[in-house]
Order: sequence, then C-alpha cells, then structure tokens
Amino acid sequence: MANWTIKNVSFRGVTGTVPNHPVKTSDIPLFTQEEADTFDQTVGIRNRYWASEDICTSDLCADAAERLIAALDWEKQSIDVLLFVSVTPDYKTPPTSAILQDRLGLPNSTFVLDIPMGCCGFMYGINVAGNLLSAGTAKRALVLIGDTAARMGSKNDKSRLPLFGDSGLAIALEYDETASDIFIDMNTSGDGYSALMTPHGGYRHPVTAESFIEEDFGHGIIRAPKDALINGMDVFAFAISKPVKSMKALLEEKSVDTEKDVDYFLIHQANKLIVDRIVKKLKLNPEKVPYNLQKFGNLGGASIPMIMCSEIAEDLQKRPLSIVGSAFGLGLTWATIMFKTTPMKVLPLNLL
Amino acid sequence: MTNLEKLDKIFVEVFSCKKEELGPDFNKDNVGTWDSVHQLSLTSSIEDDFDIMLDVEDIIGCTSYEAVKEILAKYEIEL
Repeated sequence: MANWTIKNVSFRGVTGTVPNHPVKTSDIPLFTQEEADTFDQTVGIRNRYWASEDICTSDLCADAAERLIAALDWEKQSIDVLLFVSVTPDYKTPPTSAILQDRLGLPNSTFVLDIPMGCCGFMYGINVAGNLLSAGTAKRALVLIGDTAARMGSKNDKSRLPLFGDSGLAIALEYDETASDIFIDMNTSGDGYSALMTPHGGYRHPVTAESFIEEDFGHGIIRAPKDALINGMDVFAFAISKPVKSMKALLEEKSVDTEKDVDYFLIHQANKLIVDRIVKKLKLNPEKVPYNLQKFGNLGGASIPMIMCSEIAEDLQKRPLSIVGSAFGLGLTWATIMFKTTPMKVLPLNLL
Repeated sequence: MTNLEKLDKIFVEVFSCKKEELGPDFNKDNVGTWDSVHQLSLTSSIEDDFDIMLDVEDIIGCTSYEAVKEILAKYEIEL
C-alpha cells in the first residue's frame, strides 16, 4: 500500500534549532576559493551550520521542542506521542526518543519511537504520528526531526562533506475532527541501498581496525568504511526520476491544479541542481517553490519543516495554506505529501 | 556562435579548462575535477543552452566530451 490518507490531524506548530557555528564553503579546508565559488554557484549551498562534537541531534531537537511546547501552552502531561526521526541518535541503544521523554519531562504514558529514515524523515514522522492520532486515542504528538549528518562522513570527502548541515526541528500535531485530510505517497527501492550508506558500524560489518583505514577514490574523495558515502550519479539519477513520478501520480489522483490549488511546493533541499530539475520537469511555478539550501545545506529529514520555518513562516502563521512536499533519500525511499494548514505557531529559528 | 562553439564554451566554463584541452581524452577518468557535481552542472548548462530536456540515462552517460556530442545528436542537435 503506497498511498496513505490521514484524517483528523492538524499541524499546530513548528520551529527549529541549529548549532551556532555557521560554515561557509570557503571555510572548508578541502576547497580553494575558486572551487568554493564554483560549488556555491552550481550546488547552491553557500552556508551550513555544523555542530561541535559535544552537541547531538537530541540537544538541538530538545531546544526546539521546549520552545514549541511553551509557545503552544501545551501541558506536558497532554503529550501522548514523541517521535525522534534521525539517523544520528545519541547511542545505538537505547532509543533517543526514550531519553528525550525524560529530558522533556513528558509523562511515562508517552508513546516513543525512533525512526531512522533519512531525507524522507518528515513524511515518515507525519505518517506514523498522524496515523497514531487519527483515531483519537492519542491527542497530541511531537515529531522531532534532525541530524548531525556532517560528521557521519569523512572530513576528507569532498563529494559529501559540503552538502550537509545540522539541525533539530520540532513539529506539533493534534487530533482535530475539522482537519483536512493529509495524503502521503510512500515508496521504497531497497535494491539501491548501497548508493547512500555507512558500510561499517552495524552488525553486518561491525567496527574493526579496518573500518578506520582511509582509501583515496579520486575526485577528492578520501574515506574509510566507517564513513557515510554518497554515490553521486546513482543518487542523482534516482532523485530526478522517482520523486517526479510520485508527485505527478498523487497530483493527478487528487485532481490538483498545480497553479490554482497549491500555495507552496516544498522540495527536499538536496542540492540546487536536483531541485531545479524537479521544478523544471513538473513545470512548477518557481514562485511557489521556496529554497533554503543556500542557508542550511541538506538537512536530511528536517529539510521540509525547515523551509516552513525559514521561508514561509509568515504565511503559515497568517492564512490557510495548501502544501505539497517531495522528499527522497536513504533506502532508497521517496515520498510525496499533500496537506493543508490553518494558521499555526512558527517560532523563529534558535542558535544553540 | 555555432552549436559546437556553444558546447565548447559550456565545457570550458564548467571545468575551468582551455578549449584546446577538449578532445577524445577529455573524460571522467582523465579530468580530475569531473565529479558528479560537475557532470550535473554540465548537463544542466547543456539543457539550458540547447533548450532540451535530457533523459536520466543520457545525463548519466555524459561522461566524456565525445559521449556528450553523441548524446546531443540523439536530440537532433547538429554540431
């Protein structure tokens, strides 16, 4: 079953936190100034925020969650669901969502779950939390999405290091019988798993001394098996084909006019070349497609909610909006989401 | 400007190389800066300047100067 319809769930708020450490492309030692300029122009990522070693994703998410709970004036005892959507947990075990339940002072009755799904994390988080809320058994959910993905890879991998930024986002969802339906199309192609992976560190290949031996793959790519890797062309081929088909199919199924019925298309900010191509392929009005990759880089699953915070916050707070989102990443997975919002809390971004 | 001049200009701009370097040996294996980002930048510029939309397979296939010329022929771009 690829398509999901979630009833009775409203977005109540969103905010984000990033580490107080902005990094320009020219600050990265792997680049000459000329190379940095070329990267900025072609990939479109001029700045990103990188966490220091002592800051985890959960720290960023906890800050965002505390501020959002306070702004919504939610009693902590009223929160039923806490999801932590991330590939950078505090530990391999226990789940970080459990640690966050205690840290945020949520009740013992809170349903917690870690979801390590990468760039489609927003769709996974909304789908799981939405379905948990939909029946009305649970009334309020916090979906925390973030990563410190920059340090998952090698500092000597020019193909990966400059792409990612770190962040922690918090999204508040609530049971609401007047809410418009949320539609999600989700897909998986596990045969492409090796295009985006961290070879060592799991139980298939536990960390050994060999995991730290770096290899030079040419084209500025030096990494060890413990480091996350990206097979650039495989990922690109996937990213410009599958998500477009998913979006087209859902838009057609719901008879959506992309000009009249949609206020914004929020596309996972992988890099400018990919987003531009999706916009071109779907013939979308560029004015309806906000970008923030120039400020934050690729934020993984937090990419779409960060666009909500950084680019369309005023609109989200003032008027009802119709939004279509598209994401693609680890797995390989890809997804399209359609949802309507009513005026909601959007707090300014915080630096930690 | 002829189509070939247009194509050469794109290569020179994307790879910051000299026009004289372009030829049968100008390919992914011999050009140090030819990574996925440069390849995407190359195909993106080709699409914009020649007003075409390349298939995914052709984008992946743009791994040398000669291959690009062959692929452009498929889109009825005469060089």
